[in-house]
Amino acid sequence: MINFDKVFKRYPGNMDALQNITLEILPAELVFVTGPSGAGKSTLLKLISSVEKPTSGTIIFENMNLSQLNTRDIPYLRRKFGMIFQDNKLLYDRNCFENVSLPLAINDIDGIDINRRVRAALDKVGLLNKERIMPISLSGGEQQRLAIARAIVSRPSILIADEPTGNLDKEYADEIMNIFYSFQQVGVTVIISTHELPITPIKHKKICLIGGQLKDQLSHVPLLS
Amino acid sequence: MFVVIGVTLFLPSSGLLIVENISQISNNIEYDAELSLFLEKGIKQDQIDFIQSALNKTSIIKKTHYESKLTAWDKLQTKLNLNPLNTGISKNPLPDAFFISLNTFNEKEINTLIDNLNTIDGVENIFFDAGWVKKLRSILYLSKIGLALLGSILIIILIVVIGNTIRLQTLTHKDEIEVSKLIGATNSFIQRPFIYTGLIYGLGGGLITILSLKVTIEIFNKASINLEAMLGGTFILKSLIWQQNVSVVIVAILIGCFASFFAAQQSIRKFEIFK
Repeated sequence: MINFDKVFKRYPGNMDALQNITLEILPAELVFVTGPSGAGKSTLLKLISSVEKPTSGTIIFENMNLSQLNTRDIPYLRRKFGMIFQDNKLLYDRNCFENVSLPLAINDIDGIDINRRVRAALDKVGLLNKERIMPISLSGGEQQRLAIARAIVSRPSILIADEPTGNLDKEYADEIMNIFYSFQQVGVTVIISTHELPITPIKHKKICLIGGQLKDQLSHVPLLS
Repeated sequence: MFVVIGVTLFLPSSGLLIVENISQISNNIEYDAELSLFLEKGIKQDQIDFIQSALNKTSIIKKTHYESKLTAWDKLQTKLNLNPLNTGISKNPLPDAFFISLNTFNEKEINTLIDNLNTIDGVENIFFDAGWVKKLRSILYLSKIGLALLGSILIIILIVVIGNTIRLQTLTHKDEIEVSKLIGATNSFIQRPFIYTGLIYGLGGGLITILSLKVTIEIFNKASINLEAMLGGTFILKSLIWQQNVSVVIVAILIGCFASFFAAQQSIRKFEIFK
């Protein structure tokens, strides 16, 4: 599904954020990108979502070479992804319904369908009863669930989450992770960057980055599964 | 913003209104370029006939009118109510003359004609009347150019003002723009609401301009009618015709859309996401 082949990313100032990364992410895989701060986790996710372009090497997604992607095609590529951020990037002047409906408006979905799909997404994350509430009134965990609803509403094939539980207590963090696991179970590829690998009962891949280099790429099948 | 656009467009529009009104007056006045050809004193009738036939053969002459010195003297006396006994003028001081209407304003052709006429025996003086209406039309033409320049400068100012307003609006919507970009919005999708804002600014500003012109015309015409009794004459300003009013609104809308399109485009491109 996503293939990195000898990918280097160098930022201005000669800092190598990623060096010689070669990896493969398969469909419906749960992938944890781990490593300490500055290891290159966020850069890896930025390369997948074409926020950054690699300095050298190739990234192939659905037969598209992302390193040579035309600037005009980038928005259409991003519509295939659902993205979740540590600071959730919600719009605080819009209510929950309006936040979640934004990707559908961008995709030119008609009003009736928007209504149905937004409610389904909110239901999935347990926020259906709060659709007219402003995000500022929600707890940290609820805000992150709202961000997940926004990411899944356009039914992406890949969910990309950059430190989604970084600002949350353990209780809320587990709740968020369980939501991700449920999406992986129905065939969505889930890529999560995190400082610490959570204890998970399902099969997953761990990509460990240190200092921009790939140290480890292992598939784990937990005994519990 | 509506008022800024309205007032800014009011200046060239009111100028256009004044020039249009004066142009209409000058267009209603028919006139030709005229030559006054004065003959030598004591000229014989044969020579006058010869000059008449020479004039008739000239293609750029529309019509000629001969006025003998006796007729001219009679006219002058009647007009000024002169009595030769009182004025002490015993002899007619006026010459025989031809008054010639031309069918051209081309100065080169007219000068050639004057040179040719000067070579004819018996011709004393020739005066070319350029015509005050022609001068007025030239002034109006220059005024229109001046207005076009003023309008262009004001349009540039408007584009800058609207552009800056839209740029500030994009800054206040920075988060929304960044999020939209991240979830796959194209730049044209993000630009759209800002262009609508520019369109509304233009529409509102254009309507304020037309309204201001109407009010100004009403006030001016009322004052003009009040002066009629005192001065014995009026000058009534006519409104712009509906096509011109629509043009003002369309120009305002186009300025709004153009300014907001480029301001939003530049601003949105500069936003870096995910940093």
